[in-house]
Amino acid sequence: MAIQKKVCLLGAFAVGKTSLIQRYVNSLFSDKYHTTVGVKIDKKQVTCHEQPYTLMIWDIAGEDDFYSIRPAHLRGTAGCIIVIDGTRQNSYTVALELFERVQEHVGRLPVVFALNKADLQDEWALDREQRQLLEQLGCPVLATSAKLDQGVDALFEQLVVQFAPKKEEL
Amino acid sequence: MSHLLNHIYRTLDMAIFTQQADGRFCLASSMPNWLLFFLGRSDADSHDLLATFPYLHCFMADAEQLWQAQQSTPLASGPWLEVNAVEKEVPLEASALWLEGERVLLLQNLGNKYYQEVEHLQYLRNGLLNQEALESEVRKRTLEIQRREEDLAIKLVSVTSYRDEETGSHVRRIGLYAAAMARALNWTQVDIDNIRVAAPMHDIGKIGIPDRILRKNGALNDEEFSIMKTHTEIGARMLQDSDIPVLDMAASIALHHHERWDGSGYPHGLSGEAIPITARITTIVDIYDALVHERVYKVAIPEDESIALMKDMAGRHLDPHLLDLFLHLLPIMRQIRTEVQEQEETCAAI
Repeated sequence: MAIQKKVCLLGAFAVGKTSLIQRYVNSLFSDKYHTTVGVKIDKKQVTCHEQPYTLMIWDIAGEDDFYSIRPAHLRGTAGCIIVIDGTRQNSYTVALELFERVQEHVGRLPVVFALNKADLQDEWALDREQRQLLEQLGCPVLATSAKLDQGVDALFEQLVVQFAPKKEEL
Repeated sequence: MSHLLNHIYRTLDMAIFTQQADGRFCLASSMPNWLLFFLGRSDADSHDLLATFPYLHCFMADAEQLWQAQQSTPLASGPWLEVNAVEKEVPLEASALWLEGERVLLLQNLGNKYYQEVEHLQYLRNGLLNQEALESEVRKRTLEIQRREEDLAIKLVSVTSYRDEETGSHVRRIGLYAAAMARALNWTQVDIDNIRVAAPMHDIGKIGIPDRILRKNGALNDEEFSIMKTHTEIGARMLQDSDIPVLDMAASIALHHHERWDGSGYPHGLSGEAIPITARITTIVDIYDALVHERVYKVAIPEDESIALMKDMAGRHLDPHLLDLFLHLLPIMRQIRTEVQEQEETCAAI
């Protein structure tokens, strides 16, 4: 019997949250930016430690001057993926703010940071210190590219493994 | 539910539910066509809306609060997207309200209203993305200009370094030490960048000192020392009146970096906080770097001895508060020493 878990993707607007989900769930990618308003929920079946899970993946509209995420959206979340666009400094700042807000509203729960758009690494605006700071927060940090299908499966696996108990713990 | 309300809700493409004691919902209006796909039979007695629309899980706690308070002002859930039988997105929004003694949940298909909002937001966000891209480009170019300024300053200083045999690494370290102190003092990024470039220029006036004095082996006599002291004013004259903030700062540092906290320094005998802080910082980091490194005229002094000497200068030669800060930042200063030396050695090896 699959255990259902809610997973939220958070981040500034246009960092590629929807693209990561589309790649992960449907193996699709589009270069065109379509902004998300509100929430879209996708499902994906995964297995971890021989236990099947149904991930309810919440694609939550990105943060900007006009829209900020509702704390209610985080209720019942098993873990969050916070997405950063490596080419945009601002998305790094927003990610740190969101990390704090997640802790404030739902406490310490599994988080993975995605440094997305790894295909544009030549244009990355984040320096080594900023990446180190993310790692110091105690969460895995993965370079991802929805375009190249790089690190996407690993991103979700890294999150699931944090909340999935090992077989002997079940 | 009144006929009039039912008509209004139908016009708004809305379904009205009331919540039963078991938590399930009864449809209290006619069923809109779009809802049929999600709920199946329209004649069912009740529906498990939370199973059909998982999004509602995050809204129910707020709705419950509103129903318990018996509030008639609707509370909206915010929009979410479902996908229908033909794989088309259906934007929905739920609202909870207390009406005629019932727990009411409205479910609305936002239709075009949602897509207009998306279009509007897309337009605004594209604007923000352009703005971010422009700001990033400006930042990048400003950084390039700052690096060029810094390189130019180092080259300029190296002219004097050739004559008094000061090393390029010393000059670079002075800037980095000073910037580390400025950062710890919560200066603005602009001022931190400025002192990193300006501090290394403190001795630039030595270019105006004759070789017989500057390169003299042994102690200077009174007359020679008077001439040597003029390097502060020569440096300031070289750097001032440019209207470039970093050079203005450099001029002030060049003029005042031999002033002493107790007023016994030169050229003006300023004391305490009358000495610009940029100069007080530069004095500390210059003395530290000179003590711990070897020079043509002296061997390197171990750091603990150097620190002891500097502590002895606190309150007389050096600003005691800034020296405390410097000592607090010693691990950073050591890291700068190691890294800048490594660069020099690596270059030499190549």
